[in-house]
Amino acid sequence: MSLGVRDILNKHRLLSGTSACPGCPENIAMRLISTALGENAVFVVVAGCSSVIQGMGPNSAYNYPVLNIAFAAGPAAASGIAAAMRSRGKDVKAVVWAGDGGTADIGMASLSGAAERNEDILYICVDNEAYMNTGGQRSGSTPIGASTTTTPMGKRHNKKNIPFIMMAHHVPYVATASVGYPHDLMEKVKKAKAIRGFSYVQVLCPDPYGWMFDPSKTAEVAKLAVQTCYWPLFEYENGRLRIADECLHCLDKRTRKPVKEFLKVQGRFKHADEEKVRELQEYIDEMWDRLKLLYEEKLKF
Amino acid sequence: MIEKVISGNDAVALAVKLSRVKVTGIYPITPQTYIIESLSEMKDKGELETEIIRVESEHSAMAATFGAAASGVRAYTATASQGLLYMHEMVWWVAGSRIPVVMTVGTRAVGPPWNIWNEHTDFMSERDSGWIMAFASTPQEAMDLTIIAFRVTEDERVFLPMMVGMDGFILSHTKTRVYVPSQEEVDSFLPPRRQPYVLDPEDPLAMGNMFQPADYMRLRESIHRAQLASKEVIVEAGKQYMKKVVPIGSYSTLNESYRLEDAEYAVVTMGAWSLDAMQAVDELRNEGLKVGVYRVRFIRPWPEEEVVKALDGKRVLVLDRSVSFGRGGQLYTEVRASLPNAEVKGVITGLGGVSIGKNEIKTVIRKFVERPEGVEWFYPKEGEKVELRSPRYIK
Ligand code: SF4
Repeated sequence: MSLGVRDILNKHRLLSGTSACPGCPENIAMRLISTALGENAVFVVVAGCSSVIQGMGPNSAYNYPVLNIAFAAGPAAASGIAAAMRSRGKDVKAVVWAGDGGTADIGMASLSGAAERNEDILYICVDNEAYMNTGGQRSGSTPIGASTTTTPMGKRHNKKNIPFIMMAHHVPYVATASVGYPHDLMEKVKKAKAIRGFSYVQVLCPDPYGWMFDPSKTAEVAKLAVQTCYWPLFEYENGRLRIADECLHCLDKRTRKPVKEFLKVQGRFKHADEEKVRELQEYIDEMWDRLKLLYEEKLKF
Repeated sequence: MIEKVISGNDAVALAVKLSRVKVTGIYPITPQTYIIESLSEMKDKGELETEIIRVESEHSAMAATFGAAASGVRAYTATASQGLLYMHEMVWWVAGSRIPVVMTVGTRAVGPPWNIWNEHTDFMSERDSGWIMAFASTPQEAMDLTIIAFRVTEDERVFLPMMVGMDGFILSHTKTRVYVPSQEEVDSFLPPRRQPYVLDPEDPLAMGNMFQPADYMRLRESIHRAQLASKEVIVEAGKQYMKKVVPIGSYSTLNESYRLEDAEYAVVTMGAWSLDAMQAVDELRNEGLKVGVYRVRFIRPWPEEEVVKALDGKRVLVLDRSVSFGRGGQLYTEVRASLPNAEVKGVITGLGGVSIGKNEIKTVIRKFVERPEGVEWFYPKEGEKVELRSPRYIK
């Protein structure tokens, strides 16, 4: 008996001939997300790897209408698209596709503004934790201890927790996902698309080049990030936090795997000393403390 | 068409409404403020189909307007001063994408130091962005040019955005008589929106992704050619506008000549003070000085042929309300380049709201007759210059 999975998976809208590096997590994300989104979507691609992955114009490997745009402009442009589509009587979702730099740093004001206005758009942040397209410089989303081309001895500050910032905006839907868990990711995107109003999904995208691991291991590293509780999988909807089964063990400190296991499969933490590792572990523990409070409904954003 | 006493802001807001703009992305501050306030009022009264997106910055204002325009609807925004500078990146993005958008710039000084008054530096700093750039001299013209802008930008020979400048406060906030057309009149002039690239799931295309150098350069050339081609389109649209919408105005040429036929001297101006200059010229003519005014309405495309025809053989004085530091006034530079053999003098004045009226312009013209070369800074009152403090070494 066929479950039709193959058929669904063949309906993605990523064409061949992308300019992505081998093992690219953003390619995986686009395959999965487009499978979940279906047809009626317009993409706003904010400056980043995905501006290049599409390939040389006038051709494009994304089988969607795509508006490529400057770094800080994605959510505002999507707001304009959503308004125009309404006015044309078209039921089309405007989807922003941005990297972590475009999200956590230069695009933050625009993102926050669109969230405040509760624009009917879906914002997807493909988080590879640095400015990978321009050579791997640190971003606000790079974790403490990770070396990048602008922090060769390791970053000294914590990763900006954008999902928390977005939850504090009281938007209808905020979720985290990972390219290591395709079903979870597709479910979330499907849900986000159906929501009227602002939804935000941040997808962890382990990048073989910036993170320094073998390109065949992208999915494995993405899984390990979740298993070691480095990257939570949750969704926040109507003031309720749901945590994916895959990381329920992270709610209890005693069952959390040490982050070291996640660090050792990559090259970018090779300069991280004991103290940096401890600080990163503390960041993770604090994040989970807060998630636990939300999960137990002792705290609401 | 009915007669109303309204400000430049109100006139532009009515133009936006009458042009059936569908989306307006605005960061609602700076001196053009109440264009959006007027629009918001109309919206609340149910008189307006425009959807207003009140964004968090001018960068976003242009991005939202661009997103809407790229999705196939008429889109509009307004800004000035620091706002325009903050928007700069997106201003270029729109022209580079060949997407029709219309914007008002209620021109104003650029800080520091803070100065909220009128000058043209903000507007002039976008000369190279690829936008068609018109400058109004009355609230009537601000309204007319805004409506004309939609027709010009959506013409297939053009497909470029257009901004309309109007002097901050002097035109934006001053009430005067304006002939406002009816919806039917504007409808008879503005065809439905047309554009070559539209975001549409039925025809998925990518806009703005990476281009090979030669293709990129070809696009750049196409923008330049569209600018040149727009001259004809602007004149055509202007004539149609006078025929179908408001039968006054002087839109059968890009720029305007006043008493130039027999003039020995010509004063080149742009914006509201052109009318002061025309009065000054009338009075000087009574005193026997043969002088006329050449009013620049379009700075882009630059109406080279009209400029040469109107000014060649005359002694030319260019008044600039803006400055390109290290060079002189931008208008001066443009005129100078068009008239390599003429006697051309540039005067920079009126910056940051320094008040220049008919009498000051008469003084400037008289000084020019005495000393007709170079670039000068003119202050209407003595003692307005600010000296820098003497420097000190820092320990
Ligand atoms: S740098 Fe990383 S995210 Fe960018 S294209 Fe290469 S693999 Fe993909």
